[in-house]
Amino acid sequence: MNNVADARVLMRRGFPPDWSQIRRILRRSQVHFGLAVLIPTLAWYYLFLFRPIFQAFRIAMVDYRILDPANSPFVGLGNFDKLLLNPLFLTSILNTFTWTLYIFLFMLPLSLGIATALANIRRLRNFYQAVIFIPVVVSLVAVSLLFRMVMDPEVGQLNRLLDAVGLPPSSWLSSTSTALVTISGIAVWKSVGFYVVLFTAGMLNIPEEIIDAARVDGANEWQRFWRVTIPLLTHTIILVLVLLTVGSLQEFTLPYVLTTEGGPGTATYLYNLLIYQEAFTHIRFGTATVAALLQFAFILACSLVQIRILRPTWSY
Amino acid sequence: MAGTVSGAVQGGLRAPARQSVLRQSALHIALAALALMAFFPFFWMIFASFKPFKELVQSRALLPIDWTLDNYTEILTRVHFGTAVINSLYAAVTVTFFSLLTSSALGYIFAKYRFWGKEYLFLLLLATMMVPFAVVLVPLYITVGNLSLANKLWGFIITGLWSTFGVFLMRQFMEVIPYEYLDAARIDGASEWRIFFTIILPLSTSPLAALGIFVFLANWDSFLWPLVILNTPDKQTLPLLLAGLRSIYWSRYDMWSAGSVMTTVPIIVIYAFASKYFIRGMALTGIKG
Repeated sequence: MNNVADARVLMRRGFPPDWSQIRRILRRSQVHFGLAVLIPTLAWYYLFLFRPIFQAFRIAMVDYRILDPANSPFVGLGNFDKLLLNPLFLTSILNTFTWTLYIFLFMLPLSLGIATALANIRRLRNFYQAVIFIPVVVSLVAVSLLFRMVMDPEVGQLNRLLDAVGLPPSSWLSSTSTALVTISGIAVWKSVGFYVVLFTAGMLNIPEEIIDAARVDGANEWQRFWRVTIPLLTHTIILVLVLLTVGSLQEFTLPYVLTTEGGPGTATYLYNLLIYQEAFTHIRFGTATVAALLQFAFILACSLVQIRILRPTWSY
Repeated sequence: MAGTVSGAVQGGLRAPARQSVLRQSALHIALAALALMAFFPFFWMIFASFKPFKELVQSRALLPIDWTLDNYTEILTRVHFGTAVINSLYAAVTVTFFSLLTSSALGYIFAKYRFWGKEYLFLLLLATMMVPFAVVLVPLYITVGNLSLANKLWGFIITGLWSTFGVFLMRQFMEVIPYEYLDAARIDGASEWRIFFTIILPLSTSPLAALGIFVFLANWDSFLWPLVILNTPDKQTLPLLLAGLRSIYWSRYDMWSAGSVMTTVPIIVIYAFASKYFIRGMALTGIKG
């Protein structure tokens, strides 16, 4: 069993020793280990990723028959035409863009602001960061129930609070005009701590000498922030932009649980809700998968553009 | 709040020694307010879960006047709450265990082995991270159905046994383990299995802890895939049960808060003791940047 012992025996046998055989014996264990890990890995990746991805392209082009999938008729771009005829298709796209825009507008200033405050504070930095991070670790479904309760227009605590300080009540989740902006606010509340951690880490990584140099050159705090800190944070900013885009375009849980399937009306009907309902409410696997492939292409394009355009030309 | 944030933005970077006490106090006030906003809703929810329904919808007070445990007893006896907790725990722990094992074994191979096509294989695995889950949603549903795993907990578990992100992360980390350690063990006649379990894994506990928390939370909170694959009450996970409370107990906020408290508070308590590891685990995606 011991490779080294086997190799020694071979070395003593005859001169010159059979080096290629010795090498093979010494590598035996690595080959065993490698195959034992790689073979199940490839099988799993084939079964649960590679094959499903290829199947997606096939399903997108057939009228999928659940009871007899092998005989599903080929319809080419027919599923795409069907998708365009669904009035919710355009609604969900518009809603998803608006929602993503809201997320960007709320999340970027807020997380950058909190991160700057954390980078500047001398005491309790980890404590504040840890508390602001709490919503990140709890279940999004529980958070959805929580805000449904707090934002109930009749008995919710939030309107009572507004009432107590003399402000008019808001309809929050129950009116078509406020629902989308409200759930984006909740999404920001839920995950701002995550982006704060990324930005704070990025800011504390900037070498102090660079900031000091700017200070010596007479840059005021405002200039140091915009001309030094922000440009040197480019790596983190790209990462945050990509994560925010990819995440917001794929949001499902909030419109499904918090506002009950995109309501009120279609105010919070987001794109992934459309994909889900096409597939599992209307059992139209083809159109659902076409919609998903369109999303794939769009997300890929967005990420590439963000990485290309913002790629920094410096390093430190 | 916008005012406090832009006030904080002006604060340059890090605190020079001469920075005024006034500014530090302003920062403390702003951050304390934000911290309160992050935590207060949970606080409210915990007290709400001890109020009778009538009091919950009528009173403005934070503390219950009439403390009651009825909400908890009802939710524990009327819906399959215990089953959902066991299902969620079983699934999340199994997925975490297997994905840590597979990620570290593959990380070791991709970091330290040389074989034909290694880089291409790695890129191929990595490329799957770019595909949104919605693309494979329907094909995966069909595949899992064909494996007779529909409406089985293992239908949920099996799709998480490998984690591409975990492989990427462990490879990054294991690349810095010196070859000398491995060669010394090999000269002593240790098998690769032994090297993996007694040298590689013990050296990787810190990224494994972070990855483990990340994977556990992702599966504990996972919603879309369980929603698709698990349909009956005896199979559902905690997030599915919670989402179901909306229709079982329509507008019964007492039930909702009791269910939410039992889901979130244990996680928050664990978090309170290990927040450093949680933050590191969840922010892993950023560390590589």
